[in-house]
Amino acid sequence: MPRKRTDKFVICRDTEAVTYLEPGLFPAGRQSEWTEQNRTLTFSIHPLSNQVAIAVAGKQPSESLAQKVPVYEQDQVVHICGLAGVPDNRLPFVNDTHAVFRTLQKIMETSGEERVAVGVDSLLRMSALYREAMLRQIRVLQEASDVTEFIAGEVDTFHSMHAVWHLLEIIYLTTNLPGLSTSIVPHFMEWLNLNFPAPLAEDGQRILANADLALNTELWPYMRKLALRGHVSVLANMLERVGQELSASAARWARDVAKIARNMPLGSSEETAGSFNARWRRWNEELQNAATAISSLLPSDDVALEPLSTVVDIMRGDADAISAEGESWQDILGALLLYSEPTSQADRLPSLAGIVVEQFQAAEFSVLDRALVALLSYELPEFLVFCNQIDPWLSAHMADLMDHISILDVCRAAFAVDPREHYLLALGEMYVGHENLWRVGLDYFGLGGVARCVMAEYAMRIPLESDAKARQVLGVCREFGLAMAVDRIHRQLGRQQWRRGRLGAAIAHFAEVSDRVSIGLICDQLWDQYLESGVLAYGPVIDSVLAAGLSHDRLQFLTRYRDFHESYKAQQFVDAGGMLLSILVSEIAPPHAVADLLVDAIPLLEGDVLVFSADQTLVLMRYAEALQQSPFPTRGSSRLGAVDEGELNIFNVACARNLARSFLV
Amino acid sequence: MNTLQVQPVARKVTSVCWLPPRAGQAYTDTELYFVTGSSARHKELVLWTTRNPDFESESEPSAEEKTLATLVAKATHDGDVHDIAVVSADVIATASSYGTISIYDIQHNSLKLRESVTAHRFSSGEPAVSTALAVQPVNSSDAEIASCGEDGRIAYVPLARLDALQAYEVDSTVVTGVCWPTPAQVAASTRAGQIKLFDRRSPAEVSAVFADQTKNYSFECITSHPSQSFRLATGTDTGAVLLWDIRNPKKPVAEVFNVHESNVWKVRYHPTDSSKIVSCSEDASIAITQWSSDKLSATREMHHLSGFFNALSIGCFDVCPFTRTNLLVAGSDSGNILMAKSESTEFSLF
Repeated sequence: MPRKRTDKFVICRDTEAVTYLEPGLFPAGRQSEWTEQNRTLTFSIHPLSNQVAIAVAGKQPSESLAQKVPVYEQDQVVHICGLAGVPDNRLPFVNDTHAVFRTLQKIMETSGEERVAVGVDSLLRMSALYREAMLRQIRVLQEASDVTEFIAGEVDTFHSMHAVWHLLEIIYLTTNLPGLSTSIVPHFMEWLNLNFPAPLAEDGQRILANADLALNTELWPYMRKLALRGHVSVLANMLERVGQELSASAARWARDVAKIARNMPLGSSEETAGSFNARWRRWNEELQNAATAISSLLPSDDVALEPLSTVVDIMRGDADAISAEGESWQDILGALLLYSEPTSQADRLPSLAGIVVEQFQAAEFSVLDRALVALLSYELPEFLVFCNQIDPWLSAHMADLMDHISILDVCRAAFAVDPREHYLLALGEMYVGHENLWRVGLDYFGLGGVARCVMAEYAMRIPLESDAKARQVLGVCREFGLAMAVDRIHRQLGRQQWRRGRLGAAIAHFAEVSDRVSIGLICDQLWDQYLESGVLAYGPVIDSVLAAGLSHDRLQFLTRYRDFHESYKAQQFVDAGGMLLSILVSEIAPPHAVADLLVDAIPLLEGDVLVFSADQTLVLMRYAEALQQSPFPTRGSSRLGAVDEGELNIFNVACARNLARSFLV
Repeated sequence: MNTLQVQPVARKVTSVCWLPPRAGQAYTDTELYFVTGSSARHKELVLWTTRNPDFESESEPSAEEKTLATLVAKATHDGDVHDIAVVSADVIATASSYGTISIYDIQHNSLKLRESVTAHRFSSGEPAVSTALAVQPVNSSDAEIASCGEDGRIAYVPLARLDALQAYEVDSTVVTGVCWPTPAQVAASTRAGQIKLFDRRSPAEVSAVFADQTKNYSFECITSHPSQSFRLATGTDTGAVLLWDIRNPKKPVAEVFNVHESNVWKVRYHPTDSSKIVSCSEDASIAITQWSSDKLSATREMHHLSGFFNALSIGCFDVCPFTRTNLLVAGSDSGNILMAKSESTEFSLF
């Protein structure tokens, strides 16, 4: 039976890493002794941040052990350990690139709405801004007063990130710009010299300043490096200067080679390929002639002729000479492109890179080398995996850019999950737990699909230290349409404010999510407080809430009941009576408050002024009858709330008297 | 849209204020000082210095001169810094997320905590965030600080004796901003969209309440006109700036400017030209709005300032009142200090 084979990359989210606690929770080297005492470690990972709570725990409950186990004070402590998160010196870089990321998404969204293809120049501009941020970060790190091992590592990482990003930019963006030469060669050489140490002008000056120039051991390696990197003008200057120190024969050839080097043809967008090739052939023939002439003089006692011959061989594109002299595969690839195939386009890179890389031991390649080779070979899925090994920031933003350039579909076919969504999600997860970067993290989640669900889960767990932050989180949730998160956050805040005794704020939060049950319960609490204290103190609470335009039966009840009291205080008894009756008739009062309302009517029924008409009195009596016949205790243990039967009897008598008076008037 | 200059400082800047210059002593006219307060991971106060643009040459600035501000001193702060107010050239007051009001001395380029007091607590005993504070506009040492908080209280703290604090519950939601229109009057904005006025002599009673009857807003901040105490301005959670003329209680909202797309975190009248209102917002921009009390000649110009490398909320700003050149400093959630300068004659920016 054939073995089932999968050809899809499954991204391993959890790279293996061992973290040691320093100092440890038990003495070093005494692990076995320690565990024999029924002890082990237990931990719990924080749901949002990069923190872990670690504590010593018993393997078995102490009650189940035959003998008593000693308890040590140091075992009673829970340790909170921070796993490596985003270092402080990265914060400016994260924020800068987040700004570029947002702008890029906006450009793509706008183009999507207007159905206009985004120009390569727009993408190139954004790509350049990303690179600018990387270079700025390298500069800031290098300027740090205390260059620790960590900072040195960061500098290396950013150099690698820049090299990778720049190469992708020249292959997919720069050479696709309309109106420019599409040859990759000048861009590749620029990339090579910018990202990998180029021969320094200071080194050249130092070598030239040497007294015995012809015998200087650094001279010719430097010249060969100049040739390999295409610094032909500098090379020509050096050759002319060196020529003065050499024998007559070597000096003549040095001058000739310098002259030829100066005349190296340079392509331009205005020149046709045919014309450039013709010029190149003529230049190459001149070099060929010089190479033949110099090699005819070899072997020679003149020590300068042989290295000069090598320089000429490199420049005429001799693959063997280039391979022999190039220290790295990048140097060799650059020299081959420059001198053998100066009009190559990007599609020539995979085969040429394959030939060059074969000469090296792939096992010795760094992650950067592997990423670059994968990119040059158009092995984009592998490329993304290596990018992730360099830095999660790189894989996330690279996948995003590749998607915008429309080259990510190859990877989509190869990965088990959508790589852009996956890497951006992973980056967002890294940031969202950071106190300063939670907002940045949420933006990386905002892609739709699974990411939105994850975003909602995280948004609900962001600590809300202040009301302003809560509003920011709610704003983001609304922006991304996370209705469920908005609902949960408001309920959570409402409960928090309720617990704190901030009833107005609690009602406002519950009102946002139309949680009428909770609002009703808070109103009941306000009513109970009134019954308990006898003081109508809830005015400011409901005023604030009503000012925000909230409408709820119980709130209306509390408002009208307050109005009733105010009218009564102002001795406007008819108005007060009307108010009381309207509360009952509109049935906005909670059932357990009806008895209190009826008792409140007694002074109006018994007053000097006739407040209630016969019909109105009958309405009141009907409510009293319904209350007494009600079989179910509505709230608490009694259907009458704080009212006792005696008070209700007084009410009944007062109603009867009022009814009689109303018939007489 | 004009551009703000950006300087990353790797801390979330939530409050900023200029210090008055003290020529001949610690400060010279050629250098200006401001203080920023930060939140989240770095709960700090930082004293910065920047060149006075009035004395800047027109030649191309050197690399060193391109730095917007240089750090002079910093001090840890108990909680997130929610607001800073200048008391005098060498004294500032801060409001913290732990509900404390702190007084800091600025001496010999250092920030030193003098005293602090907890002014805001929930009835459960839990500390409540102090959302804003304002110093009573009197030139004497017995001035008071009014601070407001999420506990719905306004606390009055005499500068000379912080322990003689008085706090009054004035709202059941969050009191988001506070200001002193006159030395005897305090105005507060609430989350429920109300402005409440208090007479300092009877601080427990609300002397007037104003709200927009046409629309429900939620206020984030409040400020008063520098010279006309009946004019107030509030910022809302929807990005609007409301101008109030409280002489007309039936229609107190004089004008509504929809200048931002999201929460307006701070609003101020321009200190030297009060016909302009400056506001900053969650939408990562600062708006300068021209308004006029004379409606006939009213010109309604609006300018926005933002920085490309500043994508997140601008939560605070301050316009320097001591320079001829308009100079604005702001702080953002992206961990940046932002700055804008323009000649007084050039209205394009201010």
